[in-house]
Amino acid sequence: MSTAILEARNVTKRFGGLTANEDVNLVLSGAAGQVVSVIGPNGAGKSTFFKMLSGFLRPSSGSVLLHGQDITGMPPHRIARLGLVRTFQETTIFPDLTAMEHVSLAHQLHREASDLDVVLGTSRARGDEKRLSASAADILELMELSSVADVAARHLPQGLLRLLGIAMGLATRPQVLLLGEPYAGLNPEETNRAVSITRKIAASGVSVLLVEHDMKAVMAISDRVHVLYFGKKIAEGTPEEIRNDPKVIEAYLGQEDEELGL
Amino acid sequence: MLQVLINGAVLGAVYALIALGLTMVFSIMRVVNFAHGQMYMLGGFVVYYLYGQYGLPFYVALPAAGVVLAVVGVAFNHFFFQPVLATATREENSMLMAVGTALLLENLALTFFGEKQRGVPSVMDGALIFGDVAEGGIVLTHSNALVAALAVLAIVGLLSFVQFTRPGRALRAVAQDKEAARLQGVDVKATTTLGFAIGAALAGLAGGLLVTTYGVNAGMGTNITTKAFIMIMVGGAGVTKGAIVGGVLLGFAEAIGYDLLPGSVTYLMIFIAMIVFLVFKPNGMFGKPWG
Amino acid sequence: MNTLMKRDLYVALAFLAALLVLPLFIGHSRYLLSVLMNCAGLSVVAFGVWLTFTIGRINICQAGFALIGGYTTAILLSRYGLSFWLALPLSAVVSAAIGALIGSFILKLRGIYFSMLTISLTEAIRLSFLNGGEFTQGSKGITGLPQPFAGDSPLPMYYLAVVLLALGLLVTWRVHYSRLGRIFRAMRLNEDLAESFGTNVWRYRVTAFAIACALGGVGGSYFAVFTQSVYPQSFTVEHSIYYMLFCFLGGLEFVSGAIVGAFALTILFELLSQFQQYQTLVYGVLMISVILLLPNGLMAVRSARIEGPSGRRTPSRPAPDSARAEATENPTTGSSS
Repeated sequence: MSTAILEARNVTKRFGGLTANEDVNLVLSGAAGQVVSVIGPNGAGKSTFFKMLSGFLRPSSGSVLLHGQDITGMPPHRIARLGLVRTFQETTIFPDLTAMEHVSLAHQLHREASDLDVVLGTSRARGDEKRLSASAADILELMELSSVADVAARHLPQGLLRLLGIAMGLATRPQVLLLGEPYAGLNPEETNRAVSITRKIAASGVSVLLVEHDMKAVMAISDRVHVLYFGKKIAEGTPEEIRNDPKVIEAYLGQEDEELGL
Repeated sequence: MLQVLINGAVLGAVYALIALGLTMVFSIMRVVNFAHGQMYMLGGFVVYYLYGQYGLPFYVALPAAGVVLAVVGVAFNHFFFQPVLATATREENSMLMAVGTALLLENLALTFFGEKQRGVPSVMDGALIFGDVAEGGIVLTHSNALVAALAVLAIVGLLSFVQFTRPGRALRAVAQDKEAARLQGVDVKATTTLGFAIGAALAGLAGGLLVTTYGVNAGMGTNITTKAFIMIMVGGAGVTKGAIVGGVLLGFAEAIGYDLLPGSVTYLMIFIAMIVFLVFKPNGMFGKPWG
Repeated sequence: MNTLMKRDLYVALAFLAALLVLPLFIGHSRYLLSVLMNCAGLSVVAFGVWLTFTIGRINICQAGFALIGGYTTAILLSRYGLSFWLALPLSAVVSAAIGALIGSFILKLRGIYFSMLTISLTEAIRLSFLNGGEFTQGSKGITGLPQPFAGDSPLPMYYLAVVLLALGLLVTWRVHYSRLGRIFRAMRLNEDLAESFGTNVWRYRVTAFAIACALGGVGGSYFAVFTQSVYPQSFTVEHSIYYMLFCFLGGLEFVSGAIVGAFALTILFELLSQFQQYQTLVYGVLMISVILLLPNGLMAVRSARIEGPSGRRTPSRPAPDSARAEATENPTTGSSS
């Protein structure tokens, strides 16, 4: 039996008296390039869970394994280096930098030149910049952002910023990409575009883990769905199974003004 | 040892006053008053001139120090800080202004008062003596006892003011959440002015109190500011409890240190201890994270 | 190269060119030359503070590292008879090493906490040298240091200062305008985001700080042989504050801001000597005026006028005219500064 790509074992997170996640298990195994979604009503602990997977929070107990290696509690930059990268739920950016600069910078992990090379301006550093810029341009094209490559991020609308966030994630050449609510606040046309881009990413061999509220998108794109409710995982299965799972339906019905779309 | 502790207590009381002034300004305006030490120094000079030179009674000179510095605080806030805070491109600009005001005050003092160390005659003669001095008994001069008592009085007065009066509650509201306070009808501008005035006044009072023991000179500002910073770093910036604890702790640490160690090593030890402490508790004992 | 970077380059080159040729005109005046030497040395030290700004920290301990550099040179020269040309780089290394060590612990602090801590650190360093016993000779300091150049002319020392200035400028420039500098800026703007794509933020902060401290050490080393002495009070908290002021008032967006600030403020002070006992007072008043009127420093003067009093941050690139309207509230969460 081959090692799972990503595994969360009994991951628990407590903040003082509040338990955000309790004994959450998740296994991403099999072929690369799957799309797995984590859904749940507001406050279910989805983003806390993602933060623990990517190293931004340390679990109170439990462990996270990436290709069988224990990455629990490692700092985010190390986990990124090992191949798991998270994009942010909020439209987190560097306001003054252009889209191109964002993606170019995000290639940090794949430079050949050392920092000393960079400061000295050696030919290796210069070659790097050319190579990385070209790669950044390719990614921008994949994400359909080429037209705004030279626009400062502070001027970009939210929909494009989300794509930019994903573009930065791709620049790290991850094996597992964690997308935090990539379709939130997008109109249907933008959502379709984002969903098809997500498919392209998965098709290229990157395993994608999503947190999302947009049920239509989730059902359309996921190979597998996990459901969190009040910090615990209550269901797991194919979109079809989840759609018909009584526990899941109850969890969503129990919440006020929740976008059902089931 | 008991003598050292008594000295520490006196010092701690006044230091707590200094720290409270600094923390007051910080909690209201989110600015660290770099000129705090210079304000302390000015307070010392007010008492030096009014009490030491012109012979006015101490109980007139001391409040005068508070009042003078309150006026200075209001002026600084109005002419220097508010304009900067209004056009704040970076948050560091207000810190820059604070540094500028410190420079201004110090240079003012150096120009008009000169560099000489000054002292004042004892406020009250005599001392309380417990036990036989020659055999480890302790001495508490009436002057120092008065200084400590007045410092404690001022602290209690301040805490009561902040707790029980309307302007005091306004101060707390603004410190907690400026926008929310504004929505509740608090005059934020006036309250800010009041906060700065009180903060400055406390520094002035502290200076006026300790001039009786340590004297004053125009260049001592930076030294006092550095000490004030230690107090609020250890206690926690913007928190009343932290200021008092920080002040008292430093007072004792200084007294004990000077007793046990050669002069300048004391503060070296204090700095090292503080730096190590901050590595583990970056926000001090009771402080909230910055920003 | 965009307009702002060009301005930076022209100003830097102008200073270097001026410094190179000035001795032709003022070479007879030891006093004028020494003022310029002073400014140049201060610029080197200020570069370190400037660099620390780029990682989002206000560094008020640079005087401490200048002192470390000064004492290292002084001890190596007087006690071990080393040549200055060895002592200088060694002083840079020692300052960098101590900076890296201390920085690895304290750089996690931010904002005013970090700055207050660095003030304490400056004092702690001074007190360490004061109590260094035989090794540092306490309050007596170390005096009678040999000059690196034979002869009576001040010109060699002058040109040494200019060379060191050029070196400091080169290092700071190359760090800032390279990928390294962009990473620093990214870290400053949004630390979590930078971490998420693999930036080891802690390591980069320590690196920046170590380079900054090295620059402080070089400056201190120069001043040690310039004044042929070093005392615990050669570099104090006041000096640290001045170095910070140089950067602020010169302009934080431009590498040459450190030079502009150091030269402008130091020369200004000298010019005010005609006011005699009011010199410091006038200086203080002028300082406050500059802070009030030029919040982004002297270098940003033209940009300030473009931006107007709306208080918008001076961008490192001018905003494109064709930019879309800001459709979003643009919440940039994650740590800042």
